[in-house]
Amino acid sequence: MKACTVFLGLCLVFVFVWERVDMVRMGYQIERLKREKTVLERQRDELRVKVSALSAADRIAKLATDKLGMSLPQQGQIIMVHSRPSYTPAPDIVQVELKIAKNYLPLRRF
Amino acid sequence: MTGSFSRGRRYVLLLLLLCGFIVVLFRLVTLQVWQAAKLSAKADRQHQKTVSLEGARGTIADRHGKILAINVEVPSVFGIPNALDSPLTIARQLSPILHVRTDELERKLRQKRSFVWLARKLDPEQGRQLDRLSLDGIGVVMEGRRFYPKGTFLAHVLGFSGMDGEGLEGVEHRYESYLRGEKRMMVLQCDALGRTVFPKGMMERSPTPGQNLTLTIDEVIQYIAERELEDAVGRAQAKSGTMIVLDPKTGAVFAMAVSPRFDPNAVSALNADRWRNRALTDAYEPGSTMKAMMAAAAIEEGVVRPNTMVFGEHGHMTVANTVIHDHERLGWVSFAQVIQKSSNIGAAKTGMALGEDRLYRYLLAFGFGQRTEIDLPGEGVGLVRNPRDWGRRSVASISMGQEIGVTPLQMVSAVAAIANGGVLMKPYVVSEIRDADGHIIRQIPPQAKRRVISSETARSVTKILEGVITDGTGTKAAIRGYRVAGKTGTAQKIDPRTGTYSASRFIASFTGYVPADNPQLAMIVIIDEPQGEAWGGVVAAPVFSRVGEQVLSYLGVPSSEPVTLAMARK
Repeated sequence: MKACTVFLGLCLVFVFVWERVDMVRMGYQIERLKREKTVLERQRDELRVKVSALSAADRIAKLATDKLGMSLPQQGQIIMVHSRPSYTPAPDIVQVELKIAKNYLPLRRF
Repeated sequence: MTGSFSRGRRYVLLLLLLCGFIVVLFRLVTLQVWQAAKLSAKADRQHQKTVSLEGARGTIADRHGKILAINVEVPSVFGIPNALDSPLTIARQLSPILHVRTDELERKLRQKRSFVWLARKLDPEQGRQLDRLSLDGIGVVMEGRRFYPKGTFLAHVLGFSGMDGEGLEGVEHRYESYLRGEKRMMVLQCDALGRTVFPKGMMERSPTPGQNLTLTIDEVIQYIAERELEDAVGRAQAKSGTMIVLDPKTGAVFAMAVSPRFDPNAVSALNADRWRNRALTDAYEPGSTMKAMMAAAAIEEGVVRPNTMVFGEHGHMTVANTVIHDHERLGWVSFAQVIQKSSNIGAAKTGMALGEDRLYRYLLAFGFGQRTEIDLPGEGVGLVRNPRDWGRRSVASISMGQEIGVTPLQMVSAVAAIANGGVLMKPYVVSEIRDADGHIIRQIPPQAKRRVISSETARSVTKILEGVITDGTGTKAAIRGYRVAGKTGTAQKIDPRTGTYSASRFIASFTGYVPADNPQLAMIVIIDEPQGEAWGGVVAAPVFSRVGEQVLSYLGVPSSEPVTLAMARK
């Protein structure tokens, strides 16, 4: 009985110590992953900057004209032959009290 | 004998152990009870470090999500002069990487200080080179730096942020409270080597990043506007230029271009005049473009109808002892022709018939003399004097666009009101605010301010303004296949030396909308001080046409009129 109690006590001590050690180990792991995450986020942001700079309209236009020999269409060369509903439809206007200008400002005599 | 000796030794030993125990116990009580608070705090200081963390500043994107401003963590380098043995050697090693002169770096490193910034917010590549160098007494910290990847693109609207990440101009300034990331102190647990183990309290969360803005600006439309405006300003050798494109039905700004442009990535060398957004800060005398609003007021009030006949006085009319001239000697013409031919005399006569009371009320109703309340900082109110301060000629002058100051944004908003059937909309540049995970926090809907004129009046004015393009002064604003409505303006600038109208300095402008039968775009083009020919119809109207044609094609807006195509047989 006595030996059993001592054994259980030792087990508890072992579990407690193991838990503490494991917590510290996990802490280091979390910190390492956090650093990795930060580096990856930094790389992602740098790539976003690059993508944005490389896809700039003036750069594309310059490449198209200087490297590929393309030219802008002259006036009258663009003819829309059928409608393409690509433009965003106007969102609903928030209705506010609309007043005709006649009554808009309190009439003042001057 | 032996027994008593060993008993004596045992007592001595016990006494020593007891003393030792008492000493240990005393020390234990001292550490654990009497000095507990002090020592506990000291241990905390050694095992914990408090750092100030700030969430990344939010991004700004155009209406299709294309990034226009973004924060990137970049290295900043500092030195600890007290810890350096040879500042000159260190300075020599750092100089080619930091692009700072050796003597300047050495001077900083020789200061009697424990911390000195050597260079802040460097390029990521410079940071990688510094990492490889690994110098004692030189440290690198990461700081958020604002990047505007498209350079000068949309710079006047975006604005820029300062060294400490605070928005100083444009959208960056106006939406500072949304863009700025959360700033908070965080307590971290450290091991014996000073490495971070984990935040104190596992539930500690990282600071929240700033929110992301989606603009109403369209990258392609903005690009077209900037390019065409830049070309026009260059061709006319003008001082500056401004162009605004907006959706007349909602007030959403598609493009806002100002020339000359500036690069928000490098503002330190520029003065404030360069980054001022002239589209909403600068007031100018609009000249004949004001006749569109005067016509709307006169028709709404029943003072005239499009076919009302007005006598043009053969080009000369005296008002309050001053002579008003027309560039054409007109006789009897319809009111529609008054606008189409841009007759000053016809406009002055109509304005006088309308009267100062009604004219003034319509000026205010169209939004002149007050801010449009666009969500950008620094907006001007223009100049609309109270009728009490008007002179005898003021009604005539204001009717033809003199004695009044308007901003380009006020003018295009007023024209958009005619375009959409008579409702003045509040212009805006930010349509959505999202959190870092992409969830919409706030959606900014279009907002109507007031009805200015009836839809019938708007239709009448549109018909008149279409005549400006087909038979009047604005023929160069025509776009093949589309009905265009608009008005030219050529205003003399006031000579600051004499206080009178200059004979050589003009503001050429054109404002209008397209397609006239179902307006998708309201635009204004202003060219400040063009050299040579300075007529709005010659300098500004072609820009309207070129931008309009490309943007309508880009948006896929169908033609107003049927177009006959001839196809060659093979």
